[in-house]
Amino acid sequence: MALKPTQRFKQRYVAFVLTCNALHPAYAEAKELVHSHFLSFFGESGISSLAFKLVKYDDKAGIGIVRCERSRVDEIIFCMACLSSWKGQAARMEPRSTSGTIRRL
Amino acid sequence: MLDLALAEGLPNADGISAAIFAGALPSFSNCKSPQEAKAAAKRKRALLYCKGYEIDDGALLEAARNGGAVLFAFCDVLGESGFRRAIIVSKMRLLLQACRREGCPFAFCTLASNEGQLRSARELAAFAAVLGATPEERKHSEKLLEGIAGKAGKGGKKGEKNGA
Repeated sequence: MALKPTQRFKQRYVAFVLTCNALHPAYAEAKELVHSHFLSFFGESGISSLAFKLVKYDDKAGIGIVRCERSRVDEIIFCMACLSSWKGQAARMEPRSTSGTIRRL
Repeated sequence: MLDLALAEGLPNADGISAAIFAGALPSFSNCKSPQEAKAAAKRKRALLYCKGYEIDDGALLEAARNGGAVLFAFCDVLGESGFRRAIIVSKMRLLLQACRREGCPFAFCTLASNEGQLRSARELAAFAAVLGATPEERKHSEKLLEGIAGKAGKGGKKGEKNGA
């Protein structure tokens, strides 16, 4: 049964650019990186209250979009900024813009 | 927005107008211990940076009286991972609360020693928000750094980069 709109999380979308060793990783690797980094940063309990989702990722441009709870955008951006390495390689997740809709990003 | 760095000649990140070399600022004090921080706080307009974020209330009060400020550096968060990163963020939060209690100004910067440690203005704002700074305190932090840069510019100090 679907939740009523008023019962759902208020959401924000954050666009980012992902680079790993100066290259844009493939979708599967990017998904693993994003999920493991966010899970290690927020923990299982934190993720559950975050409404977190990797909405989309374009591996050619390295641009992705994550969804989060409205009041925790700063934490999401801080989490992205805390990424400096991945499997021994330099990695960077650079936040670009924040919006309430995917279209406006 | 301005940033302080521990290396010269670093490029500007998004939203950062200049990355000033902290070593060129006469007021910058890199304190290794709370005792050193206490001694440094006695100087006029001292910029206190303590890697352990263990500055006591007395030193903060002294710094506030002398027009000094405390620096919170993003590079310290990047330098740790896992549980140790959680501890350093927690120490930063406690120090920020102590600064607020004692009326000591504070500022947020990267203190980057290489290009990989540079962060954009939006990321620094998020860093401040996560530590518990209000939007007004963030703006005050930006003004504080601009004031420091202005004074350093008047003094004609060497080492400042990117037109600060």
